[in-house]
Amino acid sequence: MRKLILLFALLFSPAAWAALEVAATTASMAMLAREIGGEAVSARVLAPPDRDPHTLQARPSMMRALRDADLVVAVGAELEVGWLPAAIAGAGNPRILPGRPGYFEAAAQVPLLEAGQAADRARGDVHPMGNPHVNLDPARMATVGHALAERLARLRPADAAGFRARAAAFERAVEARWPAWRARVAGHPGAVLHHKDGLYLFDRLGVPVLGYLEPVPGLPPSAAHLSGLAGRLKGKSGVILRQAWQPARGADFLAGQLGWPVRVVPMEPAVDAGADGWFGVIDAWVEALAAVKG
Amino acid sequence: MFRRTLLASALLAASLPAPVLAQSELDALREEIRQMRQHYEARLAEMENRLKNAGTQAPARAETASPGVDRLGEVSAGGAFNPRISVILDGVYYSDNKRGAGPELYEHIDGITHGHGHDGHDHGGLERGFNLRETEIAFSATVSPYFDANLYLAVDSHGGVEVEEAYFDTRMLPGGLKLRGGKFLSGIGYLNGQHPHSWDFVDQNLAYRSLLGDHGLSDTGLQLTWLPRTGKVYSLLGLELLQGNDHHFVSGAAELPEDVHDIGFGDMAGGKAGPRLVTAFAKFGPDLGDSHALQFGVSHARGRQIQEVHDHRDENPNASVHGLSGDGWLWGADLVYKFDAPGAGGHGDFTLAAEYLRQRKDLEVAYHQSNAAVIGAPRKSTQDGYYVQAVYGFAPDWRVGVRYDVTGGINEVDRGASVSKMGKSDRWSLALTRDITEFSRLRLQASSADLMVEGDKERVNQVFLQYQHSLGTHGAHKF
Repeated sequence: MRKLILLFALLFSPAAWAALEVAATTASMAMLAREIGGEAVSARVLAPPDRDPHTLQARPSMMRALRDADLVVAVGAELEVGWLPAAIAGAGNPRILPGRPGYFEAAAQVPLLEAGQAADRARGDVHPMGNPHVNLDPARMATVGHALAERLARLRPADAAGFRARAAAFERAVEARWPAWRARVAGHPGAVLHHKDGLYLFDRLGVPVLGYLEPVPGLPPSAAHLSGLAGRLKGKSGVILRQAWQPARGADFLAGQLGWPVRVVPMEPAVDAGADGWFGVIDAWVEALAAVKG
Repeated sequence: MFRRTLLASALLAASLPAPVLAQSELDALREEIRQMRQHYEARLAEMENRLKNAGTQAPARAETASPGVDRLGEVSAGGAFNPRISVILDGVYYSDNKRGAGPELYEHIDGITHGHGHDGHDHGGLERGFNLRETEIAFSATVSPYFDANLYLAVDSHGGVEVEEAYFDTRMLPGGLKLRGGKFLSGIGYLNGQHPHSWDFVDQNLAYRSLLGDHGLSDTGLQLTWLPRTGKVYSLLGLELLQGNDHHFVSGAAELPEDVHDIGFGDMAGGKAGPRLVTAFAKFGPDLGDSHALQFGVSHARGRQIQEVHDHRDENPNASVHGLSGDGWLWGADLVYKFDAPGAGGHGDFTLAAEYLRQRKDLEVAYHQSNAAVIGAPRKSTQDGYYVQAVYGFAPDWRVGVRYDVTGGINEVDRGASVSKMGKSDRWSLALTRDITEFSRLRLQASSADLMVEGDKERVNQVFLQYQHSLGTHGAHKF
């Protein structure tokens, strides 16, 4: 009888029944929320994976999702500065304001590359607090996973052990894949990127970034900059990587000059991806790099 | 190995002028060199060791603290400045086919508030040639866990400063409620809440210009908004209590000129206390996925008092001073559709926005200098206006926009015995916008308008070349 009452109480207590509503800014953040949160979390993606998360607008549907959210999981470091603060301000939800437990930034959990640059827009659309694209770094994502487990534990203490166990499992899954990724690109001559979005992954893999198609972050490739790159890299080997939303012209011009392959790589997995989908993103970068061997 | 040899020889070279040093100093120096060498060798060994292992080991955890450390807060450069500051510079090169009289003609478009426009700052008052338009300076900060606050100043080219907005927002109200207080742009309509740097065209549309004023409806008071839980459909309901000064359909008390105060017939009733303006608005947006977005809105504004004193004795010495008193209202409907394409720099994006506004003033003659018979005679005036605009991103960072705007499709004053009708003014505009970066913009706009001015149709053609620069905190990409 007591068991039955307990079951009854569990079924009808809203805290136990309802999943935590997570509004993730990108698909990789939603992946992490699902991996760490398991059944206790229901995650929704605000920025579609096929477009540039810098340039979105604060749409009514985002405000609607944020209104109901228990937790925002953002990449952070001003990646979403154009739309997330405006959408949160329009959502009328005090739980998810920055500084409250319902607001989580991945970038706040790990040391950032390129932190402490001068806040000088002569150098382009810079992020003085550091490069925000941490979601491509397997090691940092594992660390963020542990931090997210602590945050979820704070919001849903009853499931804390499960969150921590899943964060540890995610880290082990990353570690299991690491040697193969690393071996695949060992001694790689390097790549040219369109934007500084692959920086963390390259840094982690030990693959040199030979240059960027953008003369400074946020500016489209100019002819002078591309010829400068072509002159500097003539005779070397490498590969050119870009996102699907980044224009093809600059990459194709440089490829023509250098005879290098161009590969289109994803920044984000599918909106409903789990860890395997996200590992697929890293696989895609590693395979794109492997188009050229040193 | 090479680096170690180099280091040693550099240190050796540094110790060459040894003969001039005392033996004790020499010993101290040798000891120092020995320690440095030891230190460097230890560090080099450590680095070589790390390099050797890097290929085989799993990546080092990105931080050294204990696992699962959770830090609150955001990473934001803007947050280092308290308050956040941004400045918008806005300049226009202007030309028209009326030897520069275009802006003057726009001031005198026939309508029910003809001649009663408030003479505040003006986004349209341009000279032929170079113009510095208003510089917007914005400050924003979180005041406390309970309040955010914003201040928008508009500085004109002569240094005159006007407070465009100065308001607080609550942060912690439950249930999707938010209270705003101070001076702010009303939440009615779609464009009303936007500052000029967010417009897709250089100038304000004719409907807003003639019915709400060049800046739209901005006033002092309180606004309560509510986002109810309506599943996947976005909905926002708002209610405002505003002071109601100097609008086209609501005003404070109007004073009769001193010299007619004690003569004539009737009287202007004592002015009502504020708030004299109440607005209500609702917006709805179904969730159409990641590429499409749609929002409908309806707005209503009711003014409890309008008082107008008409004194045309400057133009005609025989004119009688008369005063009108009553109330007014405005309603509007708006629609916005946006298509968001994956392309870079807004390539392939499309926006369609349309709004309709109608305004009524229910007045009667409350005072007349010379004619007792007209006291109480009605003066019901009605005017409407609308705009339709479309913007398309035809290449990365390039947009083209087309706008058709109208005021005075209905444009009449009903005096009971007679109805006088005024004509309609309309305009076509074409704008080509180039976003040089997120923070700099160039825009070329051509407009051709048929304006009704004192019953005559005037064809006004205008060309604008505009720059806008945004300094400081990254602006918000509002819907």
